[in-house]
Order: sequence, then structure tokens, then C-alpha cells
Amino acid sequence: MSVKRNRLLRTGLGNCLAVLFALIYLFPLYIAVSNSFKSYGDILKSPLALPTRPTLDNFVEAFHASNIASLYATSLLITVSSVALLILISSCAAYVIIRRNNKICKFLYAYALIGIMVPPVVTLVPSIKTLSMLHLMYKPTGLLMFYGGAYFSTTIFLYTGFINSIPVSLDESAYIDGASTIGIFFKIIFPLLKPCTATAVILMGMWIWNDFLNPMYILGSTSGRTITTGIYNAIGAYTSQWNLVFANVILASFPIVVLYLCMQKQFMSGLTAGAVKG
Amino acid sequence: MKHNKLHDFLLVAPGYLIYTIFMIIPLGMCFFYSFTNWDGISKNYKMIGLKNFLRLFADADFYNALKVTLIITVITVLIYNVLGVLLAVLLNRKSRACAFAKSAVFVPTVLSSVVVAFIWSYIMQTDGGVINTVLGVFGIAPYDFYATPLRTIVMISVIIAWNGLGLFLVIYVATLNTIPTELMEAAEVDGASGVQRFFKITLPLMMPGITINSILSMAGGLKQYDHVKVITGGGPGGATQTITLLSVEKAFEYNRRGYSSAIILVLFVMIVIVSAIQLSITKRREVKY
Repeated sequence: MSVKRNRLLRTGLGNCLAVLFALIYLFPLYIAVSNSFKSYGDILKSPLALPTRPTLDNFVEAFHASNIASLYATSLLITVSSVALLILISSCAAYVIIRRNNKICKFLYAYALIGIMVPPVVTLVPSIKTLSMLHLMYKPTGLLMFYGGAYFSTTIFLYTGFINSIPVSLDESAYIDGASTIGIFFKIIFPLLKPCTATAVILMGMWIWNDFLNPMYILGSTSGRTITTGIYNAIGAYTSQWNLVFANVILASFPIVVLYLCMQKQFMSGLTAGAVKG
Repeated sequence: MKHNKLHDFLLVAPGYLIYTIFMIIPLGMCFFYSFTNWDGISKNYKMIGLKNFLRLFADADFYNALKVTLIITVITVLIYNVLGVLLAVLLNRKSRACAFAKSAVFVPTVLSSVVVAFIWSYIMQTDGGVINTVLGVFGIAPYDFYATPLRTIVMISVIIAWNGLGLFLVIYVATLNTIPTELMEAAEVDGASGVQRFFKITLPLMMPGITINSILSMAGGLKQYDHVKVITGGGPGGATQTITLLSVEKAFEYNRRGYSSAIILVLFVMIVIVSAIQLSITKRREVKY
């Protein structure tokens, strides 16, 4: 009896400690959220308390001053197009190089993996030269191409692993039915890659949405900033007006946090699967 | 089954074209530039052999950046792996509280490093920051996190670890779930204590996860840029600059692209060597059952 009670007590205590730990861990986020609803004076007076006179003024001001709508638009355009491009070019290339059992494809596989250890910062400086030669500097297309090169290895790696687990007999029966290679890939194989595509979307989407260094130098400001470089730039101008800083921070994180809360499981498994690069 | 060669080519070519132009060629250019004195603007530059590297190894800024980078790497690697393993083991129970704690640790990983850096720079302020307000309640004098470069670097390392811990925790939890429960039960029947079970069974069987996580955390620490850039900008006077920060500054503010390429090449070689060593050491320690 007492052993059982002892155990129950211990699990109870363990659970309390787990919750306490979680709350402490989330405390910085509480600070950011609660202070974004306070006026500047209220933050100075009571930085830790819940807002007594909650206001949306900070959000309105941040939304206009930092031009958040246009930052969202730029980030969304770049993220969606880069992710779509990466998925398209790497899934079909992965299909061919993993299915054909010849020397060229073995070479192509090894060649694709060269980039997996290369951090994007290594290719940033030389890419600026390449991009200006192609007249793609300071344009969203330039950043799109840069991401295409930088993350191709990672997506190829994800897709080759996954395609290996799809039986070749599927290709063969489609072939007998008269489908062409491109037809087999897009009609039969690509739909089966959904779990892998989901992983790639989450992983690449998050890296690209949150990226800071590359858009700062490749995109600059001439054709609109991304959300990260945009708020970095805007906040630099307010220095210590924390109410506006927090409103900016919340607006920048809002879409990705909502997405995470809706798809927690996919996020966790996606990020774990992509851990090979990081 | 006969394959249509043209179709194969069409499926493979676009990806490899983009990859070659925007990854392989720039990678080669990085090697090439590191042996030149190119300034990023003029058409003329000279091959200067190993001069960039010789200059690099006599450059006090480089050694300081190396030191800063290594301190950040050591602290974050320790937090990620020691705290990561401990939390995974402690939270590996079927209860709502533990599931909540795991997702709580994961939330910051989806946030942008810029966002995280701004939130924490408010929290760590000397005047009116959250930490010092709380300390003040207990009558403790405010702690200046910016008093010395070392303090600032340690603070930034902790912030980075807070941002990234979730990913490492999830990987450790996944590895932990691959350990068969019968092993634990058998050890319990044989009278092994909790600590004994942890060191003799759990830890050796978690080696695959430890391999991945230590490589990941080392590589991540070595290329650190964002948090430092936002919190201190590398200052005061370059005292908290990391290698990546130094190379970006040399490339874009001093227009010394050749020298900057040499710096980044050293970093790249470090990442490759660290990963290779790590892989061979931890692979040997992995246990089969």
C-alpha cells in the first residue's frame, strides 16, 4: 500500500515539477506577449504584470511604421516560391537518380550530397558575384535561386531516402499500362511522397521564413525586405521603445506560431527528419 | 522496363543546374578567392598564394573571433546535450504534464533568431530588465550582463541554447523510445538502481542520438551569427564577434572578399573536421543489442 502511495506521490510531484519547468521556460514569451499590449509607461512601471489597461496601439503603430503588410508579402512570396521550387526540382531528380542503377546516377547522388555540410554563409559571398553577373541581385528571384542551391542537398537527401521505400513494382505496372517516365513520376510516385513533402515543406518553410543573414545581403532593401530583416531594420530605429519592439516581434512570429500550434506533430517529426543539416 | 532517356534528363537537369550554379560553383569560388586579394568591386585581382591564411593566423581579431566562437560552441553543446538527455529521460512518461513540458521547450525552435534575440535583450537589460527587476525584489544588486565580453558571450550562449534546445530534446526523446522496455524491466528485477540503469543501459543505448546531436550542435555553434549580430552587433569593438560575423564584416564593410573567403574557408574546414572526428568517436561507442 505505502509503496503504491509513495509512487503516486512521486509522479504527482514529478508532474508538478514538469509544469513548473515548462512555465519558467515559456516565461520570456509571456513577457513579450504581455508587454506588447502595454503602453511604454506601463512597461516601465510594471514589466512583469499582466497588462492592466490593454491596448492595441502598439500593433497599429508597428503595423504602419514597419509596413508589416509588405514585409509579410515579401516573406510569403519568397518562402512559398522557394519551397515549391525546391520540392519540384529535388523530388523528380531524386526519383531518377535512385531508380536507375547506373554509374551516372551513383555519381549524381554523391555529387548532390557535397552540399549537405556546407553552411549557406560559405556560398553567400561568392553567390553575390554570380547573382550580379546574372542580373539577379537585390531581386526575390535571386534569393529564390540562392535557396535552391543552398538546400538542394537536404531535400534530395530526404527524398532519396523516402523513394527507396516505395516498391519498384508500382513503376513497372504503370509502365506496362503505357505511362511515360514523367507520367509515372507525377501521377504515381509524387502523390505517394506526401509525408516526405510535408517534412520538406515544414523544414524549408521555417528555415527560409526565419532566415536573416542571406536576405539581408542578397535582397537588401530595394525590392522590399523580408519579415526578419524588416523588423531588424525597424527596431534599430526605435532603440528602446520596448512596447513597439514587442509588437513587431509578435507580428513577425504570429504566422509561424499559429502554424506550429495547428500542426505540432508534423513540426516535431519534420524538424527531426531534417536534423541532418540544421 | 525501358527508360526514356530524354525524360530522365528533363527530370534531373533543372535541379542539378541550379545546384551547380548556386552551390558548387560558389563553393569553388570561395576556395579560389581565398588565394586572391579581390576586393569585391574591381575587375583586377592578383593571386597572392597563402598570404591571406598567413595574415589570418597573425590576426588578433581572428583569434578573438575563434575564442568567442569556441566558447559559444562549448556552452551550447553542453546545454543541448546534458540538459537534453536529462530532460528526455525525466519527461519520458505518459502524462499530460510531461507532454506539455516537451511542447513548451519546443515552441522557441519555431521562432526566428532575430525575434528571440530582441526578446532576450529586453530581459537581460541592466536597467529595468526582467532578471534585474526580479533580483531587485529579493534585494540583490542588479547584475550587469554586459560588464565584460566573457559575461556577454556566456549570456548569448544561454539565449541561443534556449532557442534551440527543443530540437535536441525531440531527437533524444525519439532515441529513448527505441530502447525496449523489457531491458529496463529486467534490470529493475535484477536490482539495478535508477542511477545504475541510466548509466549502464539508457546512456549507451542513446549513443545514436548523441552522435547526431553532438555533430548538429557543434556545427550550429561554429557558424553562429544571428543572435550575436542582433544583441551586440559583435561589439564593443569586436570583442564579441564570432568567425561568421568577422568574415561577413570583412566582406561587406571592408570589401576584403579574398580575406573574408579565407576566414570562412577555415570555418568550413573546422566544421568538416569536427563532424568527421565526432562521427568516428561516437560510432565506436554505439552499442548493439
